[in-house]
Amino acid sequence: MGRVSAGPWRVAVTEGSMAPAILPGDWLLVNPRLTAWPAPGSVVVFREPLSEALAIKRVEAGPGQQVRFGGGFLTLADDEAWLTADADEKTAAAVGFGPPIDSNRFGPVSLDDLVARVVFRYAPLRRVGRIAPRPSEGAAA
Amino acid sequence: MNVINQFLRMLSPKVVVRAHCDLPCGVYDPEQARIEAESCYKIVEKYAGNEDVAFRTRAIHIKEERAELVKHHLDVLWHDYFKPEHLEKVPNLHDLFWQATKQVSKVKASTDLADAKKLLDLIDQVDAAWKATGGNEKTRVAGRPS
Repeated sequence: MGRVSAGPWRVAVTEGSMAPAILPGDWLLVNPRLTAWPAPGSVVVFREPLSEALAIKRVEAGPGQQVRFGGGFLTLADDEAWLTADADEKTAAAVGFGPPIDSNRFGPVSLDDLVARVVFRYAPLRRVGRIAPRPSEGAAA
Repeated sequence: MNVINQFLRMLSPKVVVRAHCDLPCGVYDPEQARIEAESCYKIVEKYAGNEDVAFRTRAIHIKEERAELVKHHLDVLWHDYFKPEHLEKVPNLHDLFWQATKQVSKVKASTDLADAKKLLDLIDQVDAAWKATGGNEKTRVAGRPS
């Protein structure tokens, strides 16, 4: 594919749908040089369908994989990923936000809309470090 | 301190990404409430012109359904479309919505055409408020309504 994004290297986060792994106010180093969807579990910056805003979510499933959706299964196309929030409605409410918006709302995201992969948090100081895995995955691992 | 501030400014990201929560569709138009309210108006008219009991029972049932939709559409406009800053242009906004939604309840219980007409007038005031805050340019797709 040879696609290289001209996207940013540093981003600031607003809103709370990635709590508790990523909180509003976090500053992140991201890698915009991507040619494919990173592995499930990675956190990515992408252009959100419908709103066109730059958004951040975690890859739940990648190209060709199946995801549960609407009481059945959906098979992702070979350039699509399924991106979901870490926070459920309650976790998002706890940090002061409405129900998270993710692929359950806006559907699969095309590779064309992938902007960057999150690598590291460099601020605030007390939270510097790698991004924690999704809460449920962390418990399972 | 100044040096630290400068350093921080240098490090601060220029790009903001949203860990996005909730997504309103952004399409709002009082016409949606108006059409349901017109249904109520017409049903009251038809009710008055027909003595048949079964017809009248159905008419009342349908009117209640439509009135509930009016209330829903007004609530969506009130909660989702209108923002605190709109109060500058429409200072009586909250009172207007209170009156309009109360009038819906009245229309539900009433077979008086004047009540249905009053609801239409109140919705027209909501429409004026929507237009005064740029609603018709901001919230419809491809410039509808023409």
